[in-house]
Amino acid sequence: MFEQVSTPLQSNTSNSQKKSNEVALILIRHGESLWNEKNLFTGCVDVPLTKKGVEEAIEAGKRISNIPVDMIYTSALIRAQMTAMLAMTQHRRRKVPIIIHNESEQARAWSEVFSEDTKKQSIPVIAAWQLNERMYGELQGLNKQETADRYGKEKVHEWRRSYDIPPPDGESLEMCAERAVAYFKDQIEPQLLSGKNVMIAAHGNSLRSIIMHLDKLTSQEVISLELSTGIPMLYIFKEGKFIRRGSPVAPTEAGVYAYTRRLALYRQKLDEMLH
Amino acid sequence: MAASAFHQAIGTLQSHGHFNNSGLHHEQGDNYMRLISKGFKVEIGLSKRGCCRSVQRNIGVVQASTSQTSVFEPVLSPAKSNASSSQKKSNEAALILIRHGESLWNEKNLFTGCVDVPLTKKGVEEAIEAGQRISNIPVDMIYTSALIRAQMTAMLAMTQHRRQKVPIIIHNESEQARAWSQVFSEETKKQSIPVIAAWQLNERMYGELQGLNKQETADRYGKEQVHEWRRSYDIPPPNGESLEMCAQRAVAYFKDQIEPQLLSGKNVMIAAHGNSLRSIIMYLDKLTSQEVISLELSTGIPMLYIFKEGKFIRRGSPVAPTEAGVYAYTRSLALYRQKLDDMLH
Repeated sequence: MFEQVSTPLQSNTSNSQKKSNEVALILIRHGESLWNEKNLFTGCVDVPLTKKGVEEAIEAGKRISNIPVDMIYTSALIRAQMTAMLAMTQHRRRKVPIIIHNESEQARAWSEVFSEDTKKQSIPVIAAWQLNERMYGELQGLNKQETADRYGKEKVHEWRRSYDIPPPDGESLEMCAERAVAYFKDQIEPQLLSGKNVMIAAHGNSLRSIIMHLDKLTSQEVISLELSTGIPMLYIFKEGKFIRRGSPVAPTEAGVYAYTRRLALYRQKLDEMLH
Repeated sequence: MAASAFHQAIGTLQSHGHFNNSGLHHEQGDNYMRLISKGFKVEIGLSKRGCCRSVQRNIGVVQASTSQTSVFEPVLSPAKSNASSSQKKSNEAALILIRHGESLWNEKNLFTGCVDVPLTKKGVEEAIEAGQRISNIPVDMIYTSALIRAQMTAMLAMTQHRRQKVPIIIHNESEQARAWSQVFSEETKKQSIPVIAAWQLNERMYGELQGLNKQETADRYGKEQVHEWRRSYDIPPPNGESLEMCAQRAVAYFKDQIEPQLLSGKNVMIAAHGNSLRSIIMYLDKLTSQEVISLELSTGIPMLYIFKEGKFIRRGSPVAPTEAGVYAYTRSLALYRQKLDDMLH
């Protein structure tokens, strides 16, 4: 099939004019954080990445370097934000991520951009607490041994692996899913519907909650779902449906990969632009 | 064993005395100095676990300073380095300033100001380099601006730190944010370095120039006008801040929030921007507005100050760890480095 393709530089406007309502959705779970390394329960404590986590983010970026990104959503935690920004340093298209500030009128006013051209070359980045990791309540900061000693191994296992039993003052996976999926439906899905390609950089539990929604999983199925760290997961959103397309191959792997005709064309344009 | 001279990037040293391999000599008040050279282990009563000993060891270190005499003071054991910060007799703390490296708009030659643009690959590398240079300098608290390029610079730099305490960003934007980020282990808290993000440390807000390229701006407003906005002290671009206005909120924040930490003995790192940092340097070095205009802080190269007895002593940039020789800015920093060596070998 062969369709008229607008020139690469107009790829923004062509998104709304294109005949197929088809967009890419990339999910990236951040890599190793300093508390992962120390085996402490992290939850919503805002702990940064280790050297290894930084490398994982850059690797992830290489894997998605040819996939269009028009908007980025991250959690309010630095490890997800850094993962997104590090990944985007590898992107071939060279549009510039800009973090949106709405926390106060001053923050909004101070971050204004005064060139239309520059705005067109920008990828808005929105930080949302609703995409945060599951809040682990009174376990946050404890090591896994300490916690087993304090509460008993079985209890801890139940909190970690059940669907609806929260740790003391914390969230269950169900509670996490409720606010993460609500945010996805309210804020992110409309972007996809309007033809924007979206990347979400977040955490194990908030992402598996979203996947539960995308893949229509049961609570039993979601409990055993593990999303690899630093390996991006691609979905194609088309005609209101989410089609799971697995993990983009690393660019060093031989062969051309094309998930859809449109993505293959996008990659083509990048090649033409950059060679 | 003959005394060996050791070099340092900044300042001059006077080396006297000799080493004694069999242990320490401790006489309070003596001007007895000992050279601590890289790779040589001094017996100072420390075990790898860092438990404290009841006997105090006095260690003399050649101190690079403008004074002629070296001062000799008892030193508390390493494992209490957190508690000892408040108890130590010299009210001395390290202050590290790091300007972030290349951002995506630097690369495109666009006026950035307070637009929240992230680092390029090069900026990431610069941050990691900076971290290697300060990997042996204690850090108890970190202040950054509200912009990701400074926050990333701080977090990337800290991945290189030898002490392995964990930076944790403090969230106070709402009651929920505060409650959700609570830590429930005292031990874990002690191993944490609070990171505070403050808009007052942001880059100078560039008003209607934000997002414009330098050519576009010269065309729109005229080259001279643009030059005046960029290089004057008190003339702001349309709807933006002058350097003076930036300095006002940055230095006020420094005095209100950061200086008290230094006074209480906390070692502080500030990761911020060209204009907010030079404003702070203007205050630390007591520069005039003429002098501050021509002050350029290198990107990604940390600047060290020692805060002692209410004064800020500029100590230049810590050498990269690959460079030969031992550097010791003060006795307590040399000891800190020693503790790290003991802990990690």
